[in-house]
Amino acid sequence: MTPETAPEGGRARRRGQGELEGQVLGALREADGPVTAAWVQQRLGGDLAYTTVVTILTRLLAKDVVARERHGRSFVWTPTADVARLAALRMRRLLDGERDREAVLASFVTALPPGDEQVLRALLDIPGPDAGGPED
Amino acid sequence: MGVFVFLPLVLPLSAWPVARLAETRLHPRTATRLLTAVAVVMAVCSTLCLALLMVVGTAQLPGNPLPDGWSDPEVRAAVPHDEVAGRAAIPALALVTAACARTLWRHRRVTRRARRALAGVPGRTVAVLPDRTPYAYALPGGRGRIVVTTALLAGLAPAERRALFAHERAHLTARHHRHLLAAHLAARANPFLRPLRTAVVYTAERWADEEAARAVGDRRTVARAIGKAALLSPGTPAPTLAALAATGPVPRRVAALLAPAPAARTWPSAFTSVGLAAWGAAAGALVSAMSSANSAVTLFLILHAATPL
Repeated sequence: MTPETAPEGGRARRRGQGELEGQVLGALREADGPVTAAWVQQRLGGDLAYTTVVTILTRLLAKDVVARERHGRSFVWTPTADVARLAALRMRRLLDGERDREAVLASFVTALPPGDEQVLRALLDIPGPDAGGPED
Repeated sequence: MGVFVFLPLVLPLSAWPVARLAETRLHPRTATRLLTAVAVVMAVCSTLCLALLMVVGTAQLPGNPLPDGWSDPEVRAAVPHDEVAGRAAIPALALVTAACARTLWRHRRVTRRARRALAGVPGRTVAVLPDRTPYAYALPGGRGRIVVTTALLAGLAPAERRALFAHERAHLTARHHRHLLAAHLAARANPFLRPLRTAVVYTAERWADEEAARAVGDRRTVARAIGKAALLSPGTPAPTLAALAATGPVPRRVAALLAPAPAARTWPSAFTSVGLAAWGAAAGALVSAMSSANSAVTLFLILHAATPL
């Protein structure tokens, strides 16, 4: 029985996948070159299991924000995007998945029905995309 | 209590013309507050009456846990058409409860997921995301955060960007998400309140537009920012009937900004059409509140008398 490790694991779980993905990506970006999962685990501190780090790295690979190459018997990992790009991907997934997001997030503008486009261009004196610029 | 118990269920219909008038004529801040308050009062009253009808309906069911005296003819005589109304109220109230719980749960989930998605992104109040889809959101919670993509910022001139941030900041400081959530819950409680929800969504945006116009000092800049952002955004794939019939909210917002600023009087005189709208909404809410209070008290007294001590 290891009564100390149980709350630690619980805390890591509660921290949420999103936050962990951000931390792992942040650690990769601080590295000087390609690093192993064990290096990431050490960098993040002892409370994360090695398998958790590998799981998160694999998930980041699926999102195309990290790259990996075989190095001997294990993989080495490099970041291909920054934390903001990862957040953008997660936000997009959230917005695409929620039909009812207007109930929560006040959007700057709503989608424009086709007829409204002409009304809007006329109101603001913005030329349409088809209209060529002034020739002279 | 008689028919009064049914009145709050259908009184929200009286709010339709009121919502239409208030959103075009009243100052957006007044309109948002008034329409939200009316929607909440009417939703609470309508749910209360549904609960009263449910008590009468449940008392008739065999094997119900309510006191036997509650199914007395005297109690049933208090509600017209008690057989149908009472039984219909049971599933209706269950639906309302489920719909409201779902809305609340969704609200929590979206807020939580959005906050998690942005964890680690630099910037305390503004999170700029590299994304080719142009969008901007005000994310409530704590001090709130403004989420905006590089695609949207790239499409706007510097003054228009200031207008965008002022607009989103107005949403956060005025806590518009509370008004929006209240209006959404009200529309779930009584479907007749849906036009009020649409009106509140629109007036809250108008309110933020007006605040942005004041912060930037130029109404036309805000109008251009909204217009350009809308033109950048991907349009709806197929025109719906509603879209063909009426102009959507964005051109109306732009047109309102190109017009002079609305007067910020708090409560209009009763002799104008605006005043009539405001007073009409207040009267509707008051009648709704009074008839449901009347029904609640009457039923309480009847049930109290019917309960063997």
